[in-house]
Amino acid sequence: MAKINVESEVTGTVWKVEMSVGNQVNAGDTIMILESMKMEIPVEAPEAGKISHISVAVEESVEEGQVLCVIEN
Amino acid sequence: MKESAEPGSGSQAESPVDHFDELHRRREAALQMGGPEAVARQHGAGRLTIRERIARLTDDGSFREIGTLAGSAEYDLQQELVSVKPAPYVAGLARIGGRPVAIGGEDFTVRGGTSFGALRRKGGQGGFIEDLAHHYRLPLVNLIDGAGGSVTSAKRRGHVVFPGVDGFERSVQLLGEVPVISAVMGTAAGGPAGRAILSHFSLMVRGTSQIFAAGPPVVKRSLGKDIDKEDLGGAKVAVDKAGTIHNAVDTEEQAFDQIRRFLDFMPQNVWELPPAVQSGDQPDRCDDALGSIVPAKRTHAYDMHRLVTHVVDADSAFEIQPTHGRAIITSLARLDGRPVGIIANNPKIYGGALDAAAARKQIHFMELCDTFHIPLVFFVDVPGFMVGPRAEEEATLREGMRAVYVAGQLSVPTITLVIRKCYGMAGMATCNKNDIDLKLAWPSGEWGSLPVEGGVAAAYRREIAAAPDPKAKEKELETELRAYASPFRTAEAFAVEEIIDPRETRPILCELVGLAEGRLRTGLGPKAKAGVSP
Repeated sequence: MAKINVESEVTGTVWKVEMSVGNQVNAGDTIMILESMKMEIPVEAPEAGKISHISVAVEESVEEGQVLCVIEN
Repeated sequence: MKESAEPGSGSQAESPVDHFDELHRRREAALQMGGPEAVARQHGAGRLTIRERIARLTDDGSFREIGTLAGSAEYDLQQELVSVKPAPYVAGLARIGGRPVAIGGEDFTVRGGTSFGALRRKGGQGGFIEDLAHHYRLPLVNLIDGAGGSVTSAKRRGHVVFPGVDGFERSVQLLGEVPVISAVMGTAAGGPAGRAILSHFSLMVRGTSQIFAAGPPVVKRSLGKDIDKEDLGGAKVAVDKAGTIHNAVDTEEQAFDQIRRFLDFMPQNVWELPPAVQSGDQPDRCDDALGSIVPAKRTHAYDMHRLVTHVVDADSAFEIQPTHGRAIITSLARLDGRPVGIIANNPKIYGGALDAAAARKQIHFMELCDTFHIPLVFFVDVPGFMVGPRAEEEATLREGMRAVYVAGQLSVPTITLVIRKCYGMAGMATCNKNDIDLKLAWPSGEWGSLPVEGGVAAAYRREIAAAPDPKAKEKELETELRAYASPFRTAEAFAVEEIIDPRETRPILCELVGLAEGRLRTGLGPKAKAGVSP
């Protein structure tokens, strides 16, 4: 089983988390939405799989490159 | 006993047949490169030899080698040739897509591609191949696979060399004359690494090539730090993070594809126009997808890559530096078959705010297109310079203003198309005031010295703080000011020249770029340089 770390492309805050641990996702599904530079930045699943871990919560600050969640497939 | 001597100092052959035989033997020796074991090691490292690289990159049978016989020979006591070890550099003329190019590269199988003590350099840092590119106005392709000088050469010469005796002056000159492409195909340090940077387009192969000023042993000796060559100068560092090299590919074959694609857009030299091709895509194609690509909600990002793809000729976009400075997209592409340079802000990366890396990337691309007479089209969605402590530490303001400075010196025809935001000084870096300064906008366009949101909080700080409900007051002021931000009001004042239906974008751009060709013909030749870049 491959583990895929989904990293933040931006520094900003978590605005909404759209998925929960255990959810099945397809490539391109929105997992959460970040806010940065007054824009909503959707975090999309890079590959299909099951979300095994979400490491951030709403309103939390995130750094570029920080792991936001893990997908297993 | 055998002794080494300079090639050519051997005995005079008796007859023309002997001459041919010696020529044949020496050519054969050149083709052996560093010998079967060294070639096997090169292959074992997942790399092609220089001769295989040239053969795969260039048109079949087009390579005309020059300097084939350069090398170090051994002679017997009768001064008869015993063996020749070829020079660690292979060079010559070849054709790519039917067009002549100068091409050369280090032969890593011969002494690791280190410099070679001949009377004239073959290439790599000046040398014959760079002279050929200069005098015959030919594109230059460097296939780099060497680590430069070695301290052992001082022992051979009996003295050390002052930096620049074999300097970069020709390499520097070529940057204003002919397209220069460098592909880092192995581990490059020192001179060959520096040579790669003095290029219009550079690329490297993930996993099998690395580039740095100095490799792990020097880092260990200087800083006491243990680091392997991939972590020090693999594509993840040199391309994605640092932008030292422009593009990374996964295989050497892909590197050859990218070299061919880049050259397709380039003229042979700055005295010629870039080549137009017959486009298979209708210039008057109106794409309905463009009508709905920008989301109604201003805080929603969209796919700028997709947007550009819908406008330019089908399958024509070739992105330069796709993994670095991603707040900007820089792509060579075609409109009705004519080469154009696309500079597009990427709203998915920090809302398209211009950071230091993106500014440097934009600067290089503007200079590239300006030098080779490739019209520029800006697809603008920029909220301003990137803000925050890290942006300030990275000298974003200085790099951003360098972009404004370089834009201010452009002479190539330029079209500014505002897709959504165009704010502040970063917005100024998307216009060419030396041209007709044609600013087109989609109805989704908005602009100003700064966006209303941040601007209201700053300008009306006291008023907002004094209000019974500060949040409501801020919203009220924003709504009031936003009415003035309508693009149509600016068009009324003719301060933006035309607002267009997004679906008409391609026909309009194709027509304008076609018309620009007349202007381009009058501005051929090298660009004059002036002033001090900030």
